[in-house]
Amino acid sequence: MASHNDDTEESGDAVTDGGVVEEQQQTGFGPITKLNERFGSDFVESSQFWLPPFLLVGLFVYGAIIWNVMISLTDFQGFGTPDYSDLDLEMYARALSDSGFVDAAVNTFVLLIGFTLVTLAIGLGLAILIDRNIRFENTFRTIYLLPMSLSFVVTAQFWAWMYNFNNGVINIVLTSVGLDRVDWIGSPNIVLWAVVFALMWQFAGYAMVVYLAGLRAIPDEHYEAAKVDGASTLRMYWRVIIPQLKGSTISASVVLMVFALKAFDFLYSLVGGYRPPNGADILATKMVREAYANLNWAYSSAIAIMLFLMALSIVGPYLYYQYKEGHL
Amino acid sequence: MTDDSDRLSRRRFVEATGAATLIGLAGCSGDGGGDGGDGGDGGSENTDGSDGSDGGDSSGDPLEVLHGWTGGDGAAAAEALVEAFEEEYPDMEHEFNPIGGGGNQNLDAVVANRLQNNNPPSSFANWPGKNLQRYEGVLGEADSVWEEEGFEDVMVQEAVDLHQYNGAFRAVPLGSHRLNCLFYNTSVVEEAGVDPDSLTSVSALIDALETVATETDAVPMTHGMSGTWTTTQLWASTMLGKEGYDPYMNFIEGSPDEAAVQSAFESVAEILENYINDDASSIGLTESNQNIIEGNAAFIHQGNWAAGAFRNAEDFEYDEDWGFKTYPGSEGMYMLHFDSFLYPSNNPTPEKTDTFMAFAGSEAAQVAFNQYKGSIPTRTDVDMSAFGPYLQETQEDFANAEERPPNLQHGLGVDSETMSTLNDVISSEFSGPYNVEAATSGFIDAVSN
Repeated sequence: MASHNDDTEESGDAVTDGGVVEEQQQTGFGPITKLNERFGSDFVESSQFWLPPFLLVGLFVYGAIIWNVMISLTDFQGFGTPDYSDLDLEMYARALSDSGFVDAAVNTFVLLIGFTLVTLAIGLGLAILIDRNIRFENTFRTIYLLPMSLSFVVTAQFWAWMYNFNNGVINIVLTSVGLDRVDWIGSPNIVLWAVVFALMWQFAGYAMVVYLAGLRAIPDEHYEAAKVDGASTLRMYWRVIIPQLKGSTISASVVLMVFALKAFDFLYSLVGGYRPPNGADILATKMVREAYANLNWAYSSAIAIMLFLMALSIVGPYLYYQYKEGHL
Repeated sequence: MTDDSDRLSRRRFVEATGAATLIGLAGCSGDGGGDGGDGGDGGSENTDGSDGSDGGDSSGDPLEVLHGWTGGDGAAAAEALVEAFEEEYPDMEHEFNPIGGGGNQNLDAVVANRLQNNNPPSSFANWPGKNLQRYEGVLGEADSVWEEEGFEDVMVQEAVDLHQYNGAFRAVPLGSHRLNCLFYNTSVVEEAGVDPDSLTSVSALIDALETVATETDAVPMTHGMSGTWTTTQLWASTMLGKEGYDPYMNFIEGSPDEAAVQSAFESVAEILENYINDDASSIGLTESNQNIIEGNAAFIHQGNWAAGAFRNAEDFEYDEDWGFKTYPGSEGMYMLHFDSFLYPSNNPTPEKTDTFMAFAGSEAAQVAFNQYKGSIPTRTDVDMSAFGPYLQETQEDFANAEERPPNLQHGLGVDSETMSTLNDVISSEFSGPYNVEAATSGFIDAVSN
């Protein structure tokens, strides 16, 4: 805003002197010129295009985050207004001594890593198969990508039915081949992996598309050279092709991890409530439960901030990597 | 030069935008639910603004009532309530908004947000008792309604006590469910040769479950524990039935006897380990109840809302196909539950709300609602002829009960935070494998202050 005011004053002067453009090019002392020198020649002129969204995003995204941090430092709970006069880290200490929080954090982490690795592996496998010039390539690509277009609410309901103990298709298949039924949702040791599998089914198609693009970007000569040198297909992929997919891997895993942190929708729809099956509580569900079921706004904000830091610790290195590579 | 610096600056902007977008993306995901806190705050900012408009609008606003009765008998009951209201007050504009899903969770979340944003409805359905604590500071007084309608004289004493908080009436009761119930499928218990009426202790119940297991193919006791609340309320009934009224009351009042708590957990563990359905942990109340209706199971412990589902089932009649027994050991007691309408302060329609509250406590409303809901009126002067035989018996039990202890899981006995902690304990220690020791110490810690 300040720079905008300066702009008006400056151009007022300029009009008196005549010749706006020349004036700016000649003098090197006004604040505008300094700003332009510092940030590029059209910093101020272009501000009307980027400044409004910049301020709006700043207020509604970053302002809200900062506000959330402030609330997490208070003892705000129940109805009324938070008291900002007494700020401390009590809620964070409470989280660390809350076994429910620790369990949820561990589950979040397992979900994050397990889901991402499995999805990348399956996605890569599918991408390589599709890249083998098969027939109906586009059809297969669409089939694999389709689950991603469905909402979590829909897919969670699918899987709730498939995992059903008595009538679920998975247990029916298991019993028909002579195995025992498995309580997919009800066993604390299995449920998280059941969730990982369902999410993997939904997002493997996305990883496939990213990898497919990566594979298509590798020149044919690399395949040919490897073949000429006598590499087997397996060896060719392992030594030549997959190492070149680093960029695809990184960008796909960032997106997948962010989706894993958002698995709240899935767990919520799976049970139709704030309390996921025993063994599948993650930070996102715990946060919402603390906020809306218990009205512990401050505690829930503290969980939110920690979840935010987790997300940032995933995205931050990626941004830095992209910056170093010159992609930004 | 110009070109260079142009490109440079554009790249900077792209950098900035890219970074903002990505962090924003992460922010959204990491922060999605955290908005709870934010939203809450945003609301309190608006307090003053809405204050002003509220006063002005009060005459023109329609009566707005939020409730969570959307499924099956609940929806029918709510409809009957609205019809009765329209009959009594044909000219009053009203909006009865059902907010279903997740038990009462969605309703609670909507109510919490609206109260926090200082945009309260005229009234909303919830539980009285200790549950009122969580609405500290946002509930108004319904004293005048209670006085004018003479509710104190016609409601049971527990209703009078439990609808007061901080020295004023905060709500009006609409109906009452019973919690210490054991329902059974008549043909299954007959096949097993068990006489349910002879089960007057928890150990007798466990023996009967064993008999069912050996004599029939049916599940001795069907249990749906996809949510933790069913196990918590089973524990509460077992505690009441096995240990008696005083240890139960000591527990909810914050001075628990460890031996009693542990002994109740041991019995519940014995039942859950040996006599429930294999798929218990993945089904809920509805499916569990279906096991009784279809004759796949002998017994179920539930609040008597379960009976509402029995009534709606075809060819499934009280006394012929299904039966009721007070939870063994708790004979002569009626574990209380109330469905009530709470009175938010800063009410958008104070006069209409008073009218509605007076209606909710009236005979017309209680009869209309409860006969469909499967609950009973909280008034003692109601003509029960419109109700079925089961509810008539329940009403007699209610009127003649020696003790009416408040329930543990449905708001009356403990405040919502304690209730939530108890359910955390059930979730982590008592959803299979059943860790009696850890659950006992978790429960003791939760209620002891």
